[in-house]
Amino acid sequence: MVEHGASTGVTSPKKVNWINILLWTCTVLIYAFLALPVIVVVLSAFSPTPFPQFPPTHVSIKWFLAVLNNSEWMDAFRISLILLVIVTPVTVILGTLAAYGISRLEFRGRQVIQALMLSPLMMPEITLGIMLLYAFTLFGFVGTIWALVIGHTLVAFPYVVRTVSVSLAGLDRTLEDASMNLGAGPVVTFRQVTLPLMRPGIIAGAVFASVTSFGEVSVSLLVNGPQTITIPVRIYNYIQQTFDPSVNAVSVIFVVLAIGTLVVIERRFGLTRVL
Amino acid sequence: MNQRWLKSLYWLLLIPAILFLVLFFLLPLILLVEVSFRKVDRMLDILPSFGLDQYMQIFTSPIYGHMMIDGLRVAALTAVICILLAYPAAYGLVRAPNRLVRTILYIILVSPLLNSVVVRTFAWIVLLSNNGLINQFLHWLGVINHPLSLLWNMKAVIVAYVQVLLPFAVLPISTSLADIHPSLRHVSMSLGAGRLQTFLRITLPLTIPGLISGSMIVFSLAAGSYITPLLIGGSAQPLWSLNIYQQAIQIDDLPLAAAMSLLLLFTVLIIIMALGYVLRRWEKRVYG
Repeated sequence: MVEHGASTGVTSPKKVNWINILLWTCTVLIYAFLALPVIVVVLSAFSPTPFPQFPPTHVSIKWFLAVLNNSEWMDAFRISLILLVIVTPVTVILGTLAAYGISRLEFRGRQVIQALMLSPLMMPEITLGIMLLYAFTLFGFVGTIWALVIGHTLVAFPYVVRTVSVSLAGLDRTLEDASMNLGAGPVVTFRQVTLPLMRPGIIAGAVFASVTSFGEVSVSLLVNGPQTITIPVRIYNYIQQTFDPSVNAVSVIFVVLAIGTLVVIERRFGLTRVL
Repeated sequence: MNQRWLKSLYWLLLIPAILFLVLFFLLPLILLVEVSFRKVDRMLDILPSFGLDQYMQIFTSPIYGHMMIDGLRVAALTAVICILLAYPAAYGLVRAPNRLVRTILYIILVSPLLNSVVVRTFAWIVLLSNNGLINQFLHWLGVINHPLSLLWNMKAVIVAYVQVLLPFAVLPISTSLADIHPSLRHVSMSLGAGRLQTFLRITLPLTIPGLISGSMIVFSLAAGSYITPLLIGGSAQPLWSLNIYQQAIQIDDLPLAAAMSLLLLFTVLIIIMALGYVLRRWEKRVYG
């Protein structure tokens, strides 16, 4: 037995290397497949010709200028930013309060409420979109900014509940008890003990809520109106008809935002801790 | 006394969210069920009377059955490909030689999730269209004279789906990979098992939960998404989600779109619940 174990120990390094090389090749190819489209979009945003060229001939920023000088793109930016500014705090407050409240309550039907809070995540996008389209038509919301605010909040809400719940699950309740025993009231305890411990979850939730709102398209496309076209919906309309690299230029903003957010999170918290 | 006061405070915190979900999630869902049973006139205007017309239409016409099965098949195929690719990708993430490499892999993996689906789908149009980069590249190499028609077919839709949804499969698998204690593998190997055997008998069984939850997410997202197939495959693809969009927006038959959406929701829920059941059974078997 010992000999057998020892002999595999001797022969294995060569074999292991081959498997390792194969595995790492696969890994690199898969990550290249994931990254390739984004790289292509970013590089072709700097193309001077109306169609992205390979191999690229010149570098130009004219499509970025074209976006800045186009009032329709700028209107879409305005709508997307207004939404971001409303949706993020609303979703974070709603989600954080709900996650905190439910983590402190014991009652029958608690699981039902929890399932209800996460269920917008489980629903097929098209079902969610059609459902809101019909309801908002009845309520008279379609085409208003409120249709988008509600739609985005609904889509982003489960993420906030989940990230905050995760940080609450790791929270040691004895810390709160200790604070109360030392004479701090519930409000002071919440502000001085609980809230700081929930912060990573709240921040991750806020990041998710804002990127969800900024990038949301499947609900927005169904409930928006001519006055409430967001950036992703405008990109969608634009590529449906024809496209030129101004779409790439707009896409660069999304790519930079996504990577920038991650780098900031990595610097401040470490990615694996928050996500 | 104090306890009761606290308890009502916690309820008070919960109420805004519940109110929001009841008003803008449950109520719309009930309205959707209601409208799916309404009768329509020839102009597709919704009548006040109820009937099973929409459901009869879906279940009696073979087109709908094919479309439903095609939609589910594409979603299932996407999930399977994602899972197969997710293992090496998760392996790379967990075994990255240093923090910098891990961070870069993590950013490649997670940044697409922070990006709009429309942007990521657009990237595939830039690559695959007739005057797209792949055709230009092949032409430049002298491999082809006429551009290949790479867009507007189901294969392109699946490639784009896999790229868009792969991170959702990698993250749960890498979490469960990272949770495996390294000594388990060392023990297995030192007892004479090869790497393949160790993978099949130790690593794979322990990552089954991650595999199942990853495929649940990928499957349900692929089954319900209509943006990617519409842009890559075109509106002619016989996909269920795509057809719901067309019924609602182009044909303006909202009751039919509602019935189709509810059937999709129902089917996806059943498949997810079945996978969830398998997951619980597996966890019971492995962890007792």
